[in-house]
Amino acid sequence: MLNLWMRTSALISLIVVVLMLGFLLQQSWPYWQHDGLSPLLSGDWYPYEHLFGLAAAIIGSFWAALIALAIAIPTGLAAAVMSTEILSGPWRSLMRSGMELLAGIPSVVYGLLGLWILLPFLQSNLHLLTGHNLLAAGLLLSIMVLPTIMVMTQDALCEVSIHQRDTAASLGMGWSTRLWRVLLPQAWPGIRSGILLALGRALGETMAVMLVVGSMDRIPDPWYNLLAPAQTLTSRIGREIGESAFGSMHFSALMACGLLLALITITISMLAHIRTDKVKT
Amino acid sequence: MQRISYLVLAAVCLSAQAHIASAVTLHATGSTTVLPVVSTAAAAYHRQHPDVSITVSGGGSGVGIASMIQHTADIGMASREIDAEEAAKLNGKVDVFTIAKDAVAVVVSKAVYVGGVHQLSLRQIADIYRGKIKNWKALGGPDARIFVIDKEASRGTRHVFAEAVLGDAHARAPGASVISGSNNEEQALVAHSDQAIGMLSNAWLNDDVRGIAVGKGNKAIFPDIEHVRDSSYPISRSLHILLSKKGPPEARDFANFLLSPEGQAIVKKSGYLPVR
Repeated sequence: MLNLWMRTSALISLIVVVLMLGFLLQQSWPYWQHDGLSPLLSGDWYPYEHLFGLAAAIIGSFWAALIALAIAIPTGLAAAVMSTEILSGPWRSLMRSGMELLAGIPSVVYGLLGLWILLPFLQSNLHLLTGHNLLAAGLLLSIMVLPTIMVMTQDALCEVSIHQRDTAASLGMGWSTRLWRVLLPQAWPGIRSGILLALGRALGETMAVMLVVGSMDRIPDPWYNLLAPAQTLTSRIGREIGESAFGSMHFSALMACGLLLALITITISMLAHIRTDKVKT
Repeated sequence: MQRISYLVLAAVCLSAQAHIASAVTLHATGSTTVLPVVSTAAAAYHRQHPDVSITVSGGGSGVGIASMIQHTADIGMASREIDAEEAAKLNGKVDVFTIAKDAVAVVVSKAVYVGGVHQLSLRQIADIYRGKIKNWKALGGPDARIFVIDKEASRGTRHVFAEAVLGDAHARAPGASVISGSNNEEQALVAHSDQAIGMLSNAWLNDDVRGIAVGKGNKAIFPDIEHVRDSSYPISRSLHILLSKKGPPEARDFANFLLSPEGQAIVKKSGYLPVR
């Protein structure tokens, strides 16, 4: 009975994913049919001139996610090591519940905090015209994905067996050698899943990013200029979906953004699982 | 005895049903310029008709008009005219009520205004939005780069502004530094900067967000109600609400309320020019 129930729920979630992808593909089909894959390389997005280039938004999405990971991976790992390996009982649980609290804050709250605190800060300290840029989006995202990385790393570290810890200690390894040679390598599959899940969340986050990224459809120029207003796939959909008439080319192009996002995040979470399974067996 | 209790039960059910049937909730969406008028009027209307509640949300004129095409709201709000493409999709199924008139002010940060920029010609504003003028110094203001705020393509304010300044409602603005959405967002951006220029309904001006005069010939005209009334301000417009012809009668009654002396008083209080 339990088995049947579990199978049915698994099947239902699979069907939902397939249906969702099917819907996105169907709705974005006129767009792909009209322009082929060429918009993937063009940065010009002017719906009223029927130009729907996706490059600026795709690059923006990846930049914001990369900045987020570049900050959240080292801090998340450090926080997890600190709380599992160094701190004792009450402090450990305090840190963990702090992280879980961080994970529970709605994204619009992060967005508003970004708007009120982060943007003026960036603007005045970096002498910019405006704080709206990819760096701001990346910084906000780094706080938002930090709990994912930290909690997954914590769980992975806790799973490293006492046996292995004892062996490492009896070999006379110092603490840092144990950390780099035993603990982190053993926990790596879990950490890796955490990072990939965090990447998925960073790419998919809408509200907070939309409020701080500036929503300008421009490819960063030069390519590493993170201090100019830019666009992400999610912020484009968030800003424009309300005005686009159902069935229009504009709507279809926004659905194409959605399809790209869905494909990327599904691939990432599948990667996260494949790696975990391989190492376990 | 039992029969009587059945009767009572039936009566209670009927009256409950009647009560539910008479409570109507209408939803209004669209322009954030029209929103303050409609939400104040909705509260006043609800006091007079307790069985009708009206919920109001923003999104922009494009959203308001799209909601009429897609039947997702009872009342659409728009701060611009319906364009040809939208009119084709609406296919005459919508009634437009003009409830107010308004000026789209060209706004600058307080520091820019105090620094000496009190008026610009349409040509100068266009050059700023096209990226040809990049520093306030060139316009008699402080030596600071110009922070050019553009609006989302769907916003009515953007349509009216771009049409008057750039010659086309959908013209590109390569000089823009950032895209904003609602009037609140635009107001906050201008207020938080010392070097911004933007576009905003004249009802949203305040000490930090100053409207400048727009030069026309050799006269400079400030964006205020008087210059909307005599049509001398070059970037003015009408504010509309849209109703589906087959929509609920309560929505139509609410539209008439907006045009009544009481509704028009709310329009005036919100900072717009009444039409009656």
